[in-house]
Order: sequence, then structure tokens, then C-alpha cells
Amino acid sequence: MRVDPEPTLKGAETTLNRFGIHAFVRQDEVMPTPYERPVPPAEARAAERRAARPQLTRPAEGKVIAGVAIGLAHHLGWPVRWIRLAFVLISIPTGAGLVAYVFLWALTPQSRGGVVGRGRRAVDPADADALAKAGGVPEPVTGAGERDATRVLLVGGLMLGIGLVVVAQNAGLNARLGILVPLLVVAAGAVLAWSQLDDSQRGRWLGSETGTRRFSVARLAFGGVLALTGLVIMATRGRSLAAIWDIGAAVLAVLAGVALIAAPWALRFWSDLRHEQAELARATERADIAAHLHDSVLQTLALIQRKAGDPGAVTQLARAQERELRSWLYAGPSDSDATLATAVVEAAHEVEDLHGTPIEVVSTGDRPLDDGGQALVRAVRESLLNAVRHGAPPVSLYLEVGPSGVEAFVRDHGPGFEVGEIPEDRLGVRQSILGRMERHGGAAKVRRLEHGTEVSLSLPPDLRPPQPVAENDHTTNAQPPTTPPTNVQPAAEETREHA
Amino acid sequence: MNTPEKKPVEVVLVDDHRMFRSGVRAELGQAVSIVGEAPDVDAAIAVIRQAKPPVVLLDVHLPGGNGNGGIDVIHGCKGLETVDGQPVRFLALSVSDAAEDVIAVIRAGARGYVTKTISATDLTRAIQRVADGDAVFSPRLAGFVLDAFGAAAGEVAQVDEELDRLSAREREVMRLIARGYQYKEVAKELFISVKTVETHVSSVLRKLQLSSRHELTAWAMGRRLL
Repeated sequence: MRVDPEPTLKGAETTLNRFGIHAFVRQDEVMPTPYERPVPPAEARAAERRAARPQLTRPAEGKVIAGVAIGLAHHLGWPVRWIRLAFVLISIPTGAGLVAYVFLWALTPQSRGGVVGRGRRAVDPADADALAKAGGVPEPVTGAGERDATRVLLVGGLMLGIGLVVVAQNAGLNARLGILVPLLVVAAGAVLAWSQLDDSQRGRWLGSETGTRRFSVARLAFGGVLALTGLVIMATRGRSLAAIWDIGAAVLAVLAGVALIAAPWALRFWSDLRHEQAELARATERADIAAHLHDSVLQTLALIQRKAGDPGAVTQLARAQERELRSWLYAGPSDSDATLATAVVEAAHEVEDLHGTPIEVVSTGDRPLDDGGQALVRAVRESLLNAVRHGAPPVSLYLEVGPSGVEAFVRDHGPGFEVGEIPEDRLGVRQSILGRMERHGGAAKVRRLEHGTEVSLSLPPDLRPPQPVAENDHTTNAQPPTTPPTNVQPAAEETREHA
Repeated sequence: MNTPEKKPVEVVLVDDHRMFRSGVRAELGQAVSIVGEAPDVDAAIAVIRQAKPPVVLLDVHLPGGNGNGGIDVIHGCKGLETVDGQPVRFLALSVSDAAEDVIAVIRAGARGYVTKTISATDLTRAIQRVADGDAVFSPRLAGFVLDAFGAAAGEVAQVDEELDRLSAREREVMRLIARGYQYKEVAKELFISVKTVETHVSSVLRKLQLSSRHELTAWAMGRRLL
């Protein structure tokens, strides 16, 4: 199980999948239900990842060189320090550790995000803090102590290596420092520079994230200079400074010539790549739209053709489809479904689907859905059901969420009724609407108008976030005093509820 | 309300769907006579300039012109007057109820906005209202206005002339319209005359068109109108 390998196209791919899956699921459904957003598969994956032994990957974050050690540590469940130490130790005598490292580097796929999957995308890999945390990624991070430990370990390892070489030299072994040192310098430079061209970095090179880019550039430059210095030292062993100068000039001339010749091709390649990417994005988008239209509009049209004899069903189908398409076209992707306005609108759509009576919904403002909000949604739903059952269209719903509280109005144009005329045992209005609102600190009123009935529901303001409470409150309750005085102060109701 | 025995209002119908045009033509009763039809921006401007109707029923999304649909038509007919010396007025009619469409077409100069699902009688009434120089607000448009002017959040103008906020009375009128009340019912509810309701609505329309309130300009910017 891979961990989100390519985030740039991820969104498009998953939507495509989603539609693909939908196409199969919905073939044999009779009613086109309003479009559902399935649970993003990423969460399921994350859960699975946590359960099983993690695959060997190289995390992009918290790495020192290429993330092999962290990945390995996470995979095996060992502390990352041991792994690193082991790499260093087996590198010193023969360089086997180094070879193993490079081998693993080449063969291990890179993963997105930290090993722990905590989504610390903002951390720069070259950042000292990130390095510090990297030491303790599999276990709880211990902060500054970890950072010191890593540093001590690095410096100690270096000292140990130098000491071993010196001892060997003194013991009469020829370590051939003249070659070994420049080679090491070249290797270190190359590792530093190459680690920049890792697949995790490509995105940064291609665009955006200017802040981290500076670090990357510095790292690349440093690595390049290091490698170049090593090469020059190696190539010029035992020659004079003038010779070095000549060689340098010649190398520069050749490099300049190569750059000049390769430049047009490079540019062409670059623009082709860009073009291709844009094409791909467009094609994905088109496929996305086509899939959606196929699932929704074409299916509905087919259904309408089959039910041509039943005008009620046709209206209902058309209405549901219109609403679905409209929300797809204009609303855009909304991840936070848990707001009061969306919940109320959804309830209205549900009632509309059940009874086929169009409901005009207007809402202004919004707030998170809490307990009181839930109660309001249920009461609105009940009122709407009443309106479409006993009233007459047009039925309209207006929801206003402001600092002075929430108000909802459900209006129909039927013959109307008075609360006083409802028998005591009828639970619909009395319990589901009036009682429910009062239990949650709100209020409900039923008014008989000249044409139809209006149910008005209200909730006190949401007090949890410190908000400036309405100054112009007196203008909001401009209801004529003819309404039955069911509206009791919220505080009084609270106490009664608890009594 | 107007007396029904008035002579029918002349209307030019601009919509790119022929089926919809013939539908409206069939639906509208004796109170309205359709004197011209056009399927796109350029034809619409030509027809309107020639017919000079008191009311144009205008679809928001139209082909041709600068790509801004109905807004281009309104701009192309700026300053046009009927034979009676009245300005040619526009009533937007669209399937879209996206806020930016609604606000953009109103800010371009339309006197009202109704959706295509409106009943024939309501449409006739709306056309007559626009012909009389009043504004036509659907519940949804009223909702947008309350939102855009921060009225739902409790902002109320201290002076009626303030362009960036609604007065307390205008806010009440808008709220009742959003609740699905007819002008007549609004008047009864607030103990004012229908004429006063119309005045309030017209003044809200004026604010909607002239205000430089942030939300409104943001919407207009989204449609690249500024």
C-alpha cells in the first residue's frame, strides 16, 4: 500500500475514480438520489497503514540525506539512531554501508508526508528543526535534546573516522589520503546535490514554495562546489597552479559550448513538458465533466423518457436533477457539510424529494451545526412536511443566521390553521416543532396569514465563540403583537427544561 | 396593483433557447404583447433599438457580444427611450441563481431578476411592475441583498441615504420578501402602503446598483465588470 505517491494529480484521479465507481453503483437505481460525496479513500488508507507494518519508503520530511535511514527505522520498528549508527559503522572499514545506502536509496520509493503521517508538509527538509525532529520521528519527539544528540553523533562519527585513519597511518598502513580525501569530498558533494533532484523536490523546482526553495538552492550549490573542489584536487595532484588554470579555462570553455548547443533542446523539452501537463489536466477535467453528466443528467433524461406518462414523477425527477446539477455547477466542492445552512437546505431538498412540491429556499449567513442547530433543522423539516401536506404551494423557507440568533420561516399558501385548534394528542406541531425548539432554548410560533400559514422558528445566538452580540437587535423582532405569546425568554426555558 | 384593462405592455424577449421563447409567448396572457424576439446579444441590441419596448425580458447567459451575455445587451442599449420618453427597462430572467450572475445583471442596470421557474401570472405581474418603473425582487434576490449588505449580520444604515447599508425599514422589507411575501402582504405586515413598499424596494435596487460595498464589487470583479 503506497502512501499518496503523486499529490498533483491526486484530486483529479480520485474524482475520476469516484465517478467511475458511481457509474456502476447507480446503473440500476430507480431514483437518482442527490449527488453523494463518498468518503475520501485517503482516510481508509491511513487507517490501514497504521494497522499493518509500514512499507519501506523514504519519507520526504525529516531526512538528513535521502531519508533511507528513517524509512528503514520505521519499517523495522527500530530507533533511527541505531540505523544511522550502523550505516556509519559499516561504512568506515570498506564502504559497504555507503554502498548499501546508495542501493536502498535507488530502490526505495519515496513517500509523501512524514512517516508518522501527521501531515507536516510545511517543514523544510533542510531545516535544522526538521533535522532535530527527524531523530525522534518514530518515538515521541524530545526536542532540543534530540537535536544535540544527532549533532554529537555526527561530529563523533567524523572524529572517530579521522582518528581511525590517523591510527592506521601511524601503524604503517598506507591509507593513501591523497586519493581518499578528495574522493570523500566528491562523494559528499554529490550526495548533497543529488538529493535535491529527488522526486520530492521536483515539484518545488517546477514552481511555488519560494521559501523552501532558497534552502534547496543553497544545498545544491554547496554540494556542487564541494564535488567540484574534490574533482579539482584529485585532477591536479602534483601539478602547478598555472596548469590548473589552463585546465580550468579549457573545462569552462567546453562547458559553455555544451550549454550553448543544448540550450534550445532543453527549452523545447521544457515547453513540451509543460504543454503535456496542461493537456493532461484539461483531458482529466473533460473526463470528469463527461462522467458527471453521464451519471446524472443522462440517467435522469432516460428515466424521464420512461415515465413520460406520469407528469408528477417527471416534475419530481427534473426538479431533483436540476438541483443536483445546480449545486455541482455553482456551489463548488464543499468539504464542511456540518453547517446549519447546508443542513437546513438539505432537509428542504429531502422534503421536496418526498412530496414533489417545490420549496423555495433562501438563506443568509451560516454557522457550525450544534445541538440547537440540529433541533432547528428537524423542526424546519417537520414544518416543511406540514406545509407540503396540509398547505398549498408555493412553499418558501427563509433562514437567517446572524449575530442576534437564528431565525427560520416556513411559509405556505394553504388554508392555514391555529395552534389552539390542534387537538392535544397531535404530536406533529406541538412536540416536533414547538416543544423541540423550546427544549433547545429557542422558540417557535405558528401564524395564520391571509393566505396560508407561517411557522417561525428562532434560536438564541451561538455563544461559544466570543462574538460581538447584535447592537441593533430591536429591529429584528418586528412581528406584530397579534401573534400568540409562545415566545418565552431562552434563559427561562433553560431552567424549566432542567427542572 | 395596476388596473387590468390597461393596454398590454410591449415586451421584447431575448433568450437563446427557441423552445423557451415560444413557451413564454404561449404562457403570457393578454396583459403582455411580445413585439420582438432575439436569440443573441447582437440581434437583441438591433431588435431593441428598433422596437424601443418599455420592457425587455432578458436572459442572463447569451451568446455573442463581448461574452458577458445579458449585461452586454444592457450596455448596448444604454440611454434608449421608448416613444413615451420612458427609459427601456430590463427584467432579467435566468435559470441561474448564482449570486454573481444575479448581482452582476442588476448592477448593469436591470430592474429586477426572476428565475425561469416563475409562474405565468407572477411573470406577467413582474413585467407590469417593471413597466411602471418599479423593481422586482424575488425571494432569492432579497436573500442576496441581505447577505451582500451585511443586513443579516445586523448592519443597519444610520441614514437612509447611506449607499453601503440598508436602512432598518428596507431590511424589514427585504426580509419579508425573502420569506415569500408578496408586496401587498409586506405592506399589510408592516402597516404601510404598497406604494411605500415599492419605494423601499426601488431604493434598495438603487443601492445595489450604486454601492461600492466590498462584497458587491467583489462579485462584479468576478465577472470582470469593473
